Parts: sequence; structure tokens; C-alpha cells
Amino acid sequence: MWQVAPAGDRALLITIGTIIDPMLLGQVLALDRALQDRRPKGLLGTVPAYASLLCHYDPSITDAGRLEEFIRPLEGTVEAAIPSGHVVDVATRYDGPDLPEVAVKTNLAPAGVIEQHAGREYLVYCVGFAPGFTYCGGLSHQLSVPRLASPRLRVPAGSVGIAGRQTGIYGVESPGGWNLIGRTALRLFDPAADPPVRFKAGDRLRFVPVP
Amino acid sequence: MIEVIDGGRWTTIQDRGRPGLERFGIPPGGAADCFAACVANELVGNEPDAALLECTASGPRLRFDVDRVVAITGGRVDSSDGWQAVGVARGSTLAIGTISPGLRAYLAVRGGIDVPLVLGSRSFCQLGTFGGGFGRPLAAGDQLHIGQLVEHEPATAPWPPFHRLPLRGPWEIRVIAGPHADAFAGAALERLSATACRLTPAIDRIGLRLETPGLRLQTQEILTVPVTAGAVQVTPSGGLIVLHVDHQTSGGYPVIATVISADLPLLAQARPGDTVRFRIVDSTEAARAWQRVSGWLDLDP
Repeated sequence: MWQVAPAGDRALLITIGTIIDPMLLGQVLALDRALQDRRPKGLLGTVPAYASLLCHYDPSITDAGRLEEFIRPLEGTVEAAIPSGHVVDVATRYDGPDLPEVAVKTNLAPAGVIEQHAGREYLVYCVGFAPGFTYCGGLSHQLSVPRLASPRLRVPAGSVGIAGRQTGIYGVESPGGWNLIGRTALRLFDPAADPPVRFKAGDRLRFVPVP
Repeated sequence: MIEVIDGGRWTTIQDRGRPGLERFGIPPGGAADCFAACVANELVGNEPDAALLECTASGPRLRFDVDRVVAITGGRVDSSDGWQAVGVARGSTLAIGTISPGLRAYLAVRGGIDVPLVLGSRSFCQLGTFGGGFGRPLAAGDQLHIGQLVEHEPATAPWPPFHRLPLRGPWEIRVIAGPHADAFAGAALERLSATACRLTPAIDRIGLRLETPGLRLQTQEILTVPVTAGAVQVTPSGGLIVLHVDHQTSGGYPVIATVISADLPLLAQARPGDTVRFRIVDSTEAARAWQRVSGWLDLDP
């Protein structure tokens, strides 16, 4: 059952699930599309992530109760599908500062880490945290390592990191606690572009090793 | 034109921000004390979208090469009484100086600071390090051009003192429970509201870290969710982070409560060491609080 809870006096958080699952993301994106196709009065915008959708509203036009009444009946009626866009290649130079440590922790050679990381497609579950940061799920069990004990103050844009069962790409230079294994020259955030980010939730990508 | 002689501690160009881009990881941004910023524009007769300077702790020194009407609002500054439109003569220097009480002062110049719009706003975004003309806080040697976003004549009287927000702690910050209040055992909300929290030095436009002496909220990380300004996150060590206007757009800490819109400007003026108490309110009281403040001004909802 969807959980609907206020996030302050101008937003409502719809929680569809609590795990990383393509079907849950499919439901989030379907709900998001339904609200854009038939926008309830006073809804200003939505923000999807993994298994939840944040709905910003104008409190002078609507309120949390009315918005919930509009959204509740959509549970079970929106058509959810596993997202399946075309797969974008992300050319990646695997020379990240944490690659040797990740290899030690996973009992793999660095080449083995690269092979496992680059050897599959990933689903984008969220663009968030900072501009353009692209969260992907579905990392191999074998590559699952915890976040760094103390985050770096500066991680360069384009850095490819792993943490838990996720891999991600930093869109801008920012602090960060993920294990950095590589870097891409692909520009994930460009304020002059429309849209300003390269990926969105539901996209699929693949890391392609380059020298 | 205005020349920056000294940038001050952390002075950035801000307007009303760029809400609606959170799905790209871009925070809404804009003036942290949106109320004081709005009054500054109103006093000099600017359009509400005009950009101004947000000064932090200690303001800049500026040389004007034209006659201009300006207004300083927000935290109290050494250099003037503030909260009124005043003339600055061509060739003269305006030194904002130390800001206290309060942490942030706003300097509006009639016509607005003219820098290019980036994603619909002139605001500097701390989280993404872009916008605000220079993509960074002001530094000595920067030249600020003045725009033409003028709407009406400057105000002839000071802004009434009884239509201003407090500048000193201890702060009572009103919150609405949730969205993850249920994730906490027992009477966590009641215990939170009974705790005198203390602001650490780690406060900026992204968020404010608070110590919670005696309050041990048991929690663990959750699946990443989208978050809003005002979210009171509980970290695994039991500390609190209150997100502000340049907040990260998603997070993995449970959000026990969310600051109401009317009280977000107060957190822009709170200083390290200040005491913060959270009071749980309902949406009716949140709406009433916003109406009170926005009634002083023609603020959007």
C-alpha cells in the first residue's frame, strides 16, 4: 500500500516501496506520468527517486488532503512497466583512486573489478543529491563494498563510484563518500542544455572501458 | 557599475531561486532569508525578481561609480540602520561591515544586480557551484552591473519594526511531523520538541547541523528519497541536519519533521551556538504563519 505523508506545508511524499526494485521504479514513473498527463489543481511539480515521488503543491490552491484524495485512487490503476529505453554507453577510464582498495576488499584483481562493473547494464533510479548525480542500481553482489569511512571533501565531476549495491556518476564536483573506481568525460550536467542533465530516472546505461 | 573592493566573508548574488528543477538534482536556492530579501527589493522599488547581494557574517566593501538608491535588510550591520531606502553618492564607498545580531544581510540596489540568468535565475547555487554571475562568492575586483528591474518609486519611510522577523535566538522553529516520523520508536517527536538543540559551526545554505544533547534518537538509513528545504534529517549518530535552500535534492536519512515555510527565514539568521527548539504544528497553523508574514508583503504563496 502506498504511504502518503506530508513533507512540510507545501509537499507530499508518496512512498511506493522501501527497496531498490525495477518494478517499484516503474510504478513511480507511471504515477509521475499520470500526474503530468492529468495534473491536479495546485500541483507545481514532482520529484521521482527509487520508490517514491515528492509532489510540490501551492498551498493557496490545494492542500495535502485534497492532493492525497486525487492520488490514492491511482494506486493499482497506473500501468507500471519495467523501464526500457535504449542503453547509453558511458566511456569510462578505470583509474579511480579507490580501485586498488576495492580489488582487495572484493578478492578480485583490478581487472576483475572492471570486468564485473562494465559487464552489465544498469538502470538509473534517481538523479539527485547534487546537479546531475546519476544513481544506478543493480551492481554485482561481488562488488558490494561499504561507503568510505570518511567522505572526500572534493570528488571531481564525472567520477564513477560504487557503494553497496549501487554505482553512480558525479555530475558536478562535490563532497562524496562513494568508492571511486573510474571517471568519464561525459558531461552529466550542463546548465545551458535542455534538459540540463544527461540522464533521468528510468534510463539505462552501460560503462564501456576506455584506455 | 559597482566595484567590489573586498568581497566580505561569503557574499553571493541571489534572487528568488529556481524551484522546479529538483528532478535534475538542482536545488531551489534563492535568498536564504527570502523575507528580508523581498523587503530589500520592495524598499528600493525593484521588481520581486531583481537580484541582490546576500552577505554572510561580514559584508563586502563596494565602490559606486553612479548615484544609486540602496536598502540593507536582514541581520543588523554596523554601517547603517537598515530597513530603509538610502542614497549612495557616486564615487563613494559602502562598507557593510560585521553582521550581528543575525547572520545574513541583504543589499538591494535599485534596478537589481544584472548578471546572466542560468536556468531561470541569477542566484549562485552552492550545491552546483554555478550561477550568481561569477559561479562563486564575490571577490575583490569583481564588477557588478546594475539592471533595470524597477517597478515603483523607492519607499520614503523605513520598514516598520513590527513587520520584521526576530534576529536572535533562542529560536522556536515550527515543524510539521514527517514524512518519516513513524520510523522512530516511542515518543520521538515529543522528545525532540522537549530538547534544546544547539547549532554547530557547520551551517551554510545547504543545511544546518544541530547537536541534540541528551536526545538519543534510534534510527538507520533509509532508501534514498526526494527531500525538501526544511527537512529535519536524523543521522545514524543521532544528530540532526536541517536542509536549507541549496539543499541536496535526495537523501538517505529519515526525516522526522519538516520546518514550515514561514520559519525557514529564521534559520538563515541563526548562528552557531544558538539554541533551537522545534514545536510541532499542523498545516492550519503553518498556513496561518505564512499568511501573517506574507501579509506584510505581497509574497507568492
